[in-house]
Amino acid sequence: MTSRRTFLGVAASVAGAGLLGGCGEKSTRGGATQQLDKLSSLIPAAKDPGLSIPPPDVVGTRPVADGYTRFPATLVDAISEKPGRGGSAIRAITPVWGPAPPAGRNNSYLVAINDELGVPVEFSVQDGLQYADKIGALLGARDVPDLLCVPQWEVAKLARFADATNALFEDLTPYLQGSKVSAYPMLATFPAGAWRNACWNEKLMSVPNPTDGPFPWVMFHRRDLFTKLGLKPPATIDELYRLGKEITKPNQGVWAFSDVFAMIQMYFRSPGTKDGWRRRADGTPEFKYETPEFKAAAEFMAKLYRDGLIHPDIVASRGADMKQLFQSGKILITQDGMGAWQPMQAEQQNVTPGFDVQPLPLFSATGGDPLAWGDDEPISYTFVKKGLPKDRVEEILRVINWCSAPFGTTEFQLREFGVEGKHHTRKAEGPVKTDLGFKEIANQYFFISGRRPVVQPTPQTPKYVPDMLGYSNQTVKYLEKDPWDGLKLEMPARYKSGMTPFEDKLTDLVRGRRPFSDLDAIVKEWRAGGGDEARELMGKALADAGR
Amino acid sequence: MTITTRRPAWQEKPTVAGQATKGTVLTGVVMAVVLPLWVVLVTSLSSRETITAAGGLVVVPRGIDLSAYKIIFAGGQITRALAVSATVTLLGTAVSLVVTVLAAYGLSRPGTLGHRFLLFYFLMTFLIYPGMVPSYLVVTGLGLKDSLWSLVLPSAVSVFNLVVVRAFFQNLPGELLDSARIDGAGEFRILWRIVLPLSKAVVAVVGLFYAVGYWNVWFSALLYIDDNNKFPIQRVLQSFILAGMTPQTSGVAAGTALPPTLAVKMAVVVVTVLPIACVYPFIQRHFTRGVLVGAVKG
Amino acid sequence: MVAPGFLLLLVFHYLPVLGNVVAFQDYNPYSGDSALAALAGSPFIGLENFRILFADPAFWDAVVNTLSITAFQLVFFFPLPVVLALVLHSVMSPRIRNFVQTVVYLPHFFSWVLVVTFFVQMLGGAGLLAQELRDAGISPPEIMSNPQTFIVLVTAEAVWKDVGWGTIVFLAALSTIDTDLYEASAVDGAGRWRRMWHITLPGLRPVIVLLLILRLGDALTVGFEQFLLQRDAVGRQAAEVLDTFVYHQSIVTADYGLGAAAGLFKAAVGLILILVANRLAHALGESGVYRRS
Repeated sequence: MTSRRTFLGVAASVAGAGLLGGCGEKSTRGGATQQLDKLSSLIPAAKDPGLSIPPPDVVGTRPVADGYTRFPATLVDAISEKPGRGGSAIRAITPVWGPAPPAGRNNSYLVAINDELGVPVEFSVQDGLQYADKIGALLGARDVPDLLCVPQWEVAKLARFADATNALFEDLTPYLQGSKVSAYPMLATFPAGAWRNACWNEKLMSVPNPTDGPFPWVMFHRRDLFTKLGLKPPATIDELYRLGKEITKPNQGVWAFSDVFAMIQMYFRSPGTKDGWRRRADGTPEFKYETPEFKAAAEFMAKLYRDGLIHPDIVASRGADMKQLFQSGKILITQDGMGAWQPMQAEQQNVTPGFDVQPLPLFSATGGDPLAWGDDEPISYTFVKKGLPKDRVEEILRVINWCSAPFGTTEFQLREFGVEGKHHTRKAEGPVKTDLGFKEIANQYFFISGRRPVVQPTPQTPKYVPDMLGYSNQTVKYLEKDPWDGLKLEMPARYKSGMTPFEDKLTDLVRGRRPFSDLDAIVKEWRAGGGDEARELMGKALADAGR
Repeated sequence: MTITTRRPAWQEKPTVAGQATKGTVLTGVVMAVVLPLWVVLVTSLSSRETITAAGGLVVVPRGIDLSAYKIIFAGGQITRALAVSATVTLLGTAVSLVVTVLAAYGLSRPGTLGHRFLLFYFLMTFLIYPGMVPSYLVVTGLGLKDSLWSLVLPSAVSVFNLVVVRAFFQNLPGELLDSARIDGAGEFRILWRIVLPLSKAVVAVVGLFYAVGYWNVWFSALLYIDDNNKFPIQRVLQSFILAGMTPQTSGVAAGTALPPTLAVKMAVVVVTVLPIACVYPFIQRHFTRGVLVGAVKG
Repeated sequence: MVAPGFLLLLVFHYLPVLGNVVAFQDYNPYSGDSALAALAGSPFIGLENFRILFADPAFWDAVVNTLSITAFQLVFFFPLPVVLALVLHSVMSPRIRNFVQTVVYLPHFFSWVLVVTFFVQMLGGAGLLAQELRDAGISPPEIMSNPQTFIVLVTAEAVWKDVGWGTIVFLAALSTIDTDLYEASAVDGAGRWRRMWHITLPGLRPVIVLLLILRLGDALTVGFEQFLLQRDAVGRQAAEVLDTFVYHQSIVTADYGLGAAAGLFKAAVGLILILVANRLAHALGESGVYRRS
């Protein structure tokens, strides 16, 4: 009770309150739409650099990337000239999940690459979970580094982001537009869709990091335990429920699911485009909260919670380690990003012999074709600080170009695996990272660049590439059509700031903390709290685009 | 203070029921604290297999496995962070104590010029907080970004601690100070030679408050420290404890370090708690020595 | 002598406090050429931010939650350090007393991440307690994720963290009570309970009143991290408090104007509460936080 935060005030007046008031209405802080098709003149002209990299082993159906099951025997040099012209250190801020790698001279991997670059990049690696706070402060105070990585999922949360790019970052159009990109041949290999997404205010504002997989969520299961228990993957929603009942044995500490609401929404064909929009038959936009599909999904999810089929640790706390529970077999079915699959398999197969993670095939709860959420938005964007001299911007772009060399090049190998004999050892099946490699390499240069995406071979988990691409090629057929494809929407600030609060309210509903009958009231609140404003914007975007 | 070590003659013999209740309460309270600590320690010393078998934290040790500690000390990051935190804590506590003692002494003497205004000025800070972005602008504007001073100066004055020290000073016998003044001693001299020697307890306790604050500094480091070599321990602890959540894209996770295991997390917890657990028992004896009574009577 | 402290607060507190002016603006941090220009250039909209704030049911949910948690903790947390201090004070052996003190103060230094982790592992649905109960064939209660009992849970966590720490001030007060009073009273035939009632508790009264005033003045502050960490477990409705509300509004979604408005609201209410509480203290014949001189 004697906490130092206790406040002990004598007297204060909220000085000035009320004195400052000019009058006026708060602006609607509305958003804007860019028609990306109209931006085609901005987009860098695609050109194959003509490197003799072997063809992929597994071909992906776009937007699924191609995959390699083996590392090429010989690597190609993509860039002959050092990108740096002896400029001062380039300061960059990038995210990392998990322990931060050593920085500066303490990190031999950074030293090696900076030597190659001819100009040092100094990274400040920030905790990915707190990244929004960090860039929020940076942007708000207009204090940005030479290179700033902004992950795609953070952009959606940052209000007035288009204004921010305009005020703080360099317009790259004059450097990269059309054939000008030929000065940076690796950037000319990126898909046009990625570039379209990298535009703001109808200017080319950033370098995109193209995605290698369109799916935000995958339903994973422990195939080894399924086999042991004689269980089959479900093909209908009732089978999924029965499976949950069969698996859950609280007295053995085993539950069927973690929180799998996103996947359940997909099973019920609730819309997922632009966080949950679709077009009604009459052409007007409609958000998932308003659809019967979403309601059915929420009801089903609430049933899973009510009947105790979700692991109680997941119910209990944000900090619960879902991966740990899944890996130790306390949960048999979980939803996660595709990116979780391979590391989990590689890590746990050494501890649990036979450990096998696989996705459950997508199905529809209501008959007909399944629906897969997804988009080809880049993983992240790299922004260059506004107001740097022309040669500096060019130097920085050459550095980005170097870091963007594709799979099969020596540059890629060095960027991804560090120095041979130090950060990795060369085995027949490919490079294997050493402990030092794991410690020092944390996607630093990955997050200030992009590349033609491919799925890389994973020697420890040889089945991964074919399995993953098999699932992806199967599922991509059901990828939801995006009526706003090619339109970049800057959503109204009020809608953006309402997103998390309303998701929270629905979570309360699903977890039985609020009566289900509140749904209509919540939807009403959502409409008044920015939802209708957003609908208007999205409708207008379609009309303007003549769709 | 009177520490009663023996039952005085006038006090009745304790009843058996009373003793039993007391014993139960104290044992319960102690166990409630010790058990979780034990679990953290044991888990940090457990092997991966033991943890997987237990499905989480380990209560009963099965052998000692130091690999978690080897991992966290191998990279030097934890060591470096501990050094940063130690520097910030020592530096910050020194600065804070000097500033606080001076201000508290100045404010402990009513009747001086502007006394009421100054008191008001200090106490007002309890009510109105600056926003995050304006604070950020001031700190970066002063060129403190990436400087350990950015973790010290903005929080150097805790007005709560100032009030505690001031109240203590006010309770010192005024005659002592007056006679020194008559002898012609200056205020700094009085503070140094007379007031401080009488105030060791309050300085020790307030120093501990400050030290704990600096040791636990986290959010300011998130904002002001970009250089990873200057991260304090709580920043590192945070990234270890909450690690394991990867973003939902496949390109990102490939090739990153594996998320730390529970044992590693718990080992980081142990090294974070340890310094404080080692230091504070020495200061603890001052807690009850009438320190806060001063504030309370004030 | 006051100068260094004065300057530090001027620069690091009062200067940025001026930024609260955005509470009355439709603030766009990206207009103009610099942050200052943005501040100067954003239009004033009077009390519009406050109007939006007061019209938001989520804001009132947060206020109500905050106040109920404060009230609950006043009843169920506040007295516990007094009791523990009395028990500790009566322990004769300095070794035992010191040992217990050393142990119970320790959790005060733990971060909330840690405290919450402990509770999840001990009392959570898959924690130690639940596992034991299930083995015994009893269906374990939902402790960590039940919004109805969340208020008890957060209080229990706060007690675990700070009950020991809270005894310090009472132990200090107890040690200043003149033992002669006890002796005289014992000689007059007063038993232990009578002595406690007539000597000990009156001796603690000023401290108790002071801390009560402080707590009341701080009624809108119940902690931040603790709630942020557990908000997902029990849901927004139960766990959103004023500080987490401000955080989500202004920092996460960058609506600085609204966040600043909520902060000012909190400051104003805090001021009123502390003035009221202090007047109450005067009325009870206590000196309270400050004296009218």
